[in-house]
Amino acid sequence: MTHLPFIVAAYVIAIGTPLILATDAVFRARRAQRRLDAIDPRRNRGET
Amino acid sequence: MDARSSAASPRSGHVLHRFANPGQFLRLSGRVLPWLYWPGVLLTAGALIWGVFFAPSDWQQGDTVRIMYVHVPFAWLASAGYFSLAVCSFISLVWRHPLADLAAVELGPVGAAFTAVCLATGSLWGKPTWGAWWVWDARLTSVFVLLLLYLGHIALVRAFDDPTRGYRAGAILALVGVINLPIIKFSVDWWNTLHQPASIGLTGAPTIASSMLWPLLFSAIGFTLLFAAIVVTRTRAAVMERRIRGLLMAKASSASEQEALS
Amino acid sequence: MTRKHKRLVLILACGLGLGSAAALTLTAFSDNLVYFVSPTDLAKSDHTGRQLRLGGLVEQGTVERTSATGSAGVRFKVTDGSADVPVVYKGILPDLFREGQGVIVLGTREPDGVFRASEVLAKHDETYMPKEVADALKKSGRWNPGAGPPPPASTWNEPIKQVTGQPPG
Repeated sequence: MTHLPFIVAAYVIAIGTPLILATDAVFRARRAQRRLDAIDPRRNRGET
Repeated sequence: MDARSSAASPRSGHVLHRFANPGQFLRLSGRVLPWLYWPGVLLTAGALIWGVFFAPSDWQQGDTVRIMYVHVPFAWLASAGYFSLAVCSFISLVWRHPLADLAAVELGPVGAAFTAVCLATGSLWGKPTWGAWWVWDARLTSVFVLLLLYLGHIALVRAFDDPTRGYRAGAILALVGVINLPIIKFSVDWWNTLHQPASIGLTGAPTIASSMLWPLLFSAIGFTLLFAAIVVTRTRAAVMERRIRGLLMAKASSASEQEALS
Repeated sequence: MTRKHKRLVLILACGLGLGSAAALTLTAFSDNLVYFVSPTDLAKSDHTGRQLRLGGLVEQGTVERTSATGSAGVRFKVTDGSADVPVVYKGILPDLFREGQGVIVLGTREPDGVFRASEVLAKHDETYMPKEVADALKKSGRWNPGAGPPPPASTWNEPIKQVTGQPPG
């Protein structure tokens, strides 16, 4: 492959960034859900 | 009072209100999310494997053309993300929707990250193809301005003690910045730029071989689903965090009231 | 309700004003937004001594390598079809540099009319095609890369069929 380092770098950036963002978002949502369940379990069960 | 104002509002307002109810949003988005994540991951993975190992190399660029499969979707999402940000800002300013505010705040960092990836992958393509990492032509400069607009929005919505004022200021910035979107799109047609014009347009046949067009199309759809999934997840988290804050504050104020009574 | 309407009208009016302001500004600064000038632009006005970017195609049959005094140099003409400018350059050329290729050269025009370049960038066009397609198009005489853009992508399939239709070996 020509210019392999450039291609590899581009793919690492392009796959890594959404991966980091998605992981962060999922963990943040889970943390929020857990806290919400702990504070107000009744209302939450009614909604999900 | 609430009932009277909604009874007087036109039909579009009705529908909007129903979808903007945070509880409804949590329920609906919870059901939609798996349909964004899994097809997004599968389509992206399939398209990139196709693009790297099976799509042909270009007669001039060689294998460097494969950077296109990760550059073009991010370029398109940088603009589409900003457009979504502007739509949220518009809804936030006109109808004062709390959900639009939260979505706008959560869109900003994701859009900025995608714009940065677009610039980085474009730079990695430009060095071997053009012979330069970066040039200040109209296309590259206008996308750089887009990144600055995203960063400005991120900073502005978090700059005020009263979040509502931050939302308003951010929304105005986002709407003013919309002017940049047509400039990005048409910069390559209006002015001489180093960046090539679009290969795929609404009018005219694409100037790209179909063996390269298909993986590009699937990669664009895949990354779009992932972008949507990330933004929806973040907005869900923001809705729940706001409810947590509300409940804690209610608890604290009722506790202090009881203290004052006893 | 009326307040919502008022806000809506206000935002739309602001958008309209801002949009026309931006359009006027862009039209006014149009010359400065141009990344390069064409050989025709260069011929029209006197740019001697000023550093600028010149863009066009490397004219067929004009590239000659000059390896005088150690460092590799190159001499070629940049054309846009109606005018051409001789260019001299010393340094590393981009991979895509060849006759018929779009290039942008940064430099100054000397009083003798020669453009002395300090940087050469290759401009890629919006066409992406596999090597086999390019070869087939060139072989069948339907496209000469030096003469102009290739035929539309929807017609590329024909030569592909001819190439892949042949039994291997």
